[in-house]
Amino acid sequence: MDILFDVLRTAIAPSTAAFALAAIGLNFHFGLTGLLNMGHAGFMLLGMYGFAISLQQGWPIWLAVIIGLLAAAIFAVLLGWPTLKLRGDYLAIVTIAAAEMVRLLGRSQSLKDLTGASSGIRGKDFKEPFETLSPFPDSIVTIGPFQMHGSRSSSWWLTVVTWVLVGIFALVFWRLANSPWGRVLKGIREDEDAVRSLGKNVYSYKMQALVIGGMIGALGGITWALGNSVQPDSMARPTTFWLWTLLLLGGAATVFGPVLGSILFWSALTLVKSLASAFIPDTVLSTTELEPFSLVLVGVTLMLLVIFRPQGVLGNKKELAF
Amino acid sequence: MLARLDRRVLLRAALVFLIAVVGVTAVLAMGGSADAASSETAAAAASSSGTFDLFIQNLFNGVVFGLLLALASVGLSLIYGTTALSNFAHGEMVTFGAMLTYWLATPQPVRIPLIPVDFNIGLPLIPAALLAIAISAGLGWVQDRIIWSQLRRRRVAMVQQMIVSIGLSLALVNFIQWWMGGRPVRLTTAIDPRNDYGPISVSNTTLISMAIAIAALLGVAFFLQRTRLGRATRAVSDNPALASASGIKVDSIIRLVWIMAAGLAALGGILLALYQQGIGFDDGTKLLLMMFAAVTLGGLGHPYGALVGSLIIGIVAEVSTVWLAPDLKFATALGILILVLLVRPQGILGRAERVG
Repeated sequence: MDILFDVLRTAIAPSTAAFALAAIGLNFHFGLTGLLNMGHAGFMLLGMYGFAISLQQGWPIWLAVIIGLLAAAIFAVLLGWPTLKLRGDYLAIVTIAAAEMVRLLGRSQSLKDLTGASSGIRGKDFKEPFETLSPFPDSIVTIGPFQMHGSRSSSWWLTVVTWVLVGIFALVFWRLANSPWGRVLKGIREDEDAVRSLGKNVYSYKMQALVIGGMIGALGGITWALGNSVQPDSMARPTTFWLWTLLLLGGAATVFGPVLGSILFWSALTLVKSLASAFIPDTVLSTTELEPFSLVLVGVTLMLLVIFRPQGVLGNKKELAF
Repeated sequence: MLARLDRRVLLRAALVFLIAVVGVTAVLAMGGSADAASSETAAAAASSSGTFDLFIQNLFNGVVFGLLLALASVGLSLIYGTTALSNFAHGEMVTFGAMLTYWLATPQPVRIPLIPVDFNIGLPLIPAALLAIAISAGLGWVQDRIIWSQLRRRRVAMVQQMIVSIGLSLALVNFIQWWMGGRPVRLTTAIDPRNDYGPISVSNTTLISMAIAIAALLGVAFFLQRTRLGRATRAVSDNPALASASGIKVDSIIRLVWIMAAGLAALGGILLALYQQGIGFDDGTKLLLMMFAAVTLGGLGHPYGALVGSLIIGIVAEVSTVWLAPDLKFATALGILILVLLVRPQGILGRAERVG
C-alpha cells in the first residue's frame, strides 16, 4: 500500500511536471520537425541559470523568467545557425557537445562567483520570491493521502503552477501543431526537399521550432530548479536521454505523449525501486546499487522502445521522423 | 583546399570566432577567481621553468592523450565508415576494457552484479589486460550479432539505430557503475617513477603506453593498406552496395570491424587508465564526445582522419590549460568540434560532399 502511495506521489510531483514540460519542448523539436536535439538538458540548465542568477541579483521574478527563456533562445539560435543546414546526425553531435559545454562551463571553478561551480546554487538563495507568491499556507498541508508543504520547495503551490503550465503548453502545442505553421514543420519532418520546392524557407522554420522548443525546455528547467536546486551535474547527458525515453514512451508528435510519458516513466522508476528494495534481498542488490540498476532498465527500455514500438503508447507510426 | 572556402563561410567562421573570444574574455572577467585559478596552477608549475617549458610539457601530454584517444576513435570511425552508425555506446567499451582488467587483476575480492559470491582472481597485469582485450573484442562480436546485424536486417532507420546505441550506452554505463561502484579504481598500485628529458617529465609506463599505442595504430594502418581483408574493409566503407556486388561479404566485414573496434577501444581504455592512474565508471562516457570531435575533425568515416583529429584534439585540450582553467579543457575541445562543423563539415581529410 505504501508503495502504491509512493508511486502516486511521484506521478503528481512537480519534477514529473517539469519533465513533462521539457518533453513538450523536445516534442516541438523531434515530434513536429524531426530535429535530433540530443542536448535538451543544456536548454534546461541555461534556463535555470538565467532564472536563479537574475534572482540572486535581486531582479523581479518576471524578469528572471524572461532572462532564463532568453538565454535558451540565444543558445538555440547559436546552435541552429551552423547545424540546421547539415544532416540530422550532425545536429545530434553538436547539440550534445554544446549542452555538455554549458554544463562544463557552469561547473568550472572559473565561474564560481556566478554559478557556484560544481555545487551549484542552493535552493534558499533563489526560491524565496516564488514562495512568497504562494496563496497556500506556510505549513504542511495534507490532502487525501498526500502530504506536502504548502509553499516551500516541492510544494502544493509548485505542483499547481507546474501542472497548469503543462496544461497551457499542451494546449499551445495542439494549436500550433494544427496551424498552417505546424503543417509546414510536419512537412519538413516528412520530406524537407518537397517543402523547399514549395518555396518555404526550411532553415527559418527549423530555427523557429528549435527556439520555441528550447524556450519551453528552459521553462521546464526553471520549474525543476524550483523544486530542487540548480545543480549542473543533474542536467548532464543522462537527463537528455531520460527525456527522449519518456517522449518516445508516451508517443512523439502527440499532444499528451510527453505528459503521459513523464508520468509513466517516473512512476515506473519509483515502482521498480520500491519493489526491488522490498523483495530482492540486500546481499543480491544493495540499496546503493538500486539507482544504477534502475537506470540500466531505463537504457534497455529505450532500446526496446525504439526497436519495437517507436510510436510509443499514444503515437502513430506514420507521424515519426525515423 | 583553401580556394574553395567561399567568403560567406569565412565570414561566419570569423563571427563565431569573435563570439568565442568575447565569451572567453567575459568568462575570465566575470569569474574573478578565474585568473587566480588558472594562473595559480600555471604559476605553480612554471615557477621553476617558465611558460615555454609548460607549453612543451603540455604539448607532449597532448600527444600522449591524442594517441590514446586515437585508439578509441579509430574504431568509432571504422564503424561509421562501414555502417554509417554514429555509435554512442563506444565510450562504454573504453571503460569496460579498463574495468575488466581491474576486475581480473586486483588482489581484492570482486563480484558480479546479482550474484552474491566473491571471486578472487588476481591475475598479473599483462595477462589480465590481454584477456580483457580478448573479452571486449568478443563483446563487440556479440553486440553486432545480437543487436546491430539484426537491426540492419530489419532495415531499421539510421536515426533509430543511433538512439538504440544511446540506450545501450545508458544501460552499459550504469551497469559498470553497478558492477564497480562509483569510485575510480587503479589498475596497478606499483609506484611509477618519472624521468626528466629536457623540459618534459614522463613516467616509464607512459612511454611504454605510447609505444603500444603507436604499434597498434601502425598495425591497423598495415591491415587496412596491405591485407586483403583490409582492402575489403575500405571497399565496404567506400560503397557497401558495390562491394557486395563484387563478391565481398559485407556482413562479415562489418562484424570484423566491430570486433576490431571493441578490442582497440578496450586497449585504449587500459592504457588511459594507466596514464591517468585510475579510471572511473563514466570516464569513457566523458571521452565519447572527444572521440566524436576527433572523428568529425578528421573526417567522419575516414580511419586516418580519426588519427589526425585525435592528435589535434588531444594537443588542443592539453595546451589550452596553459591559459585556461584545467576544468575547461574538454569544453575547449568541444568548441573546436562546433567550429569545424561550421567551416568544413566534411573534416580535414574528408571529401567535400553535400551533408545537408
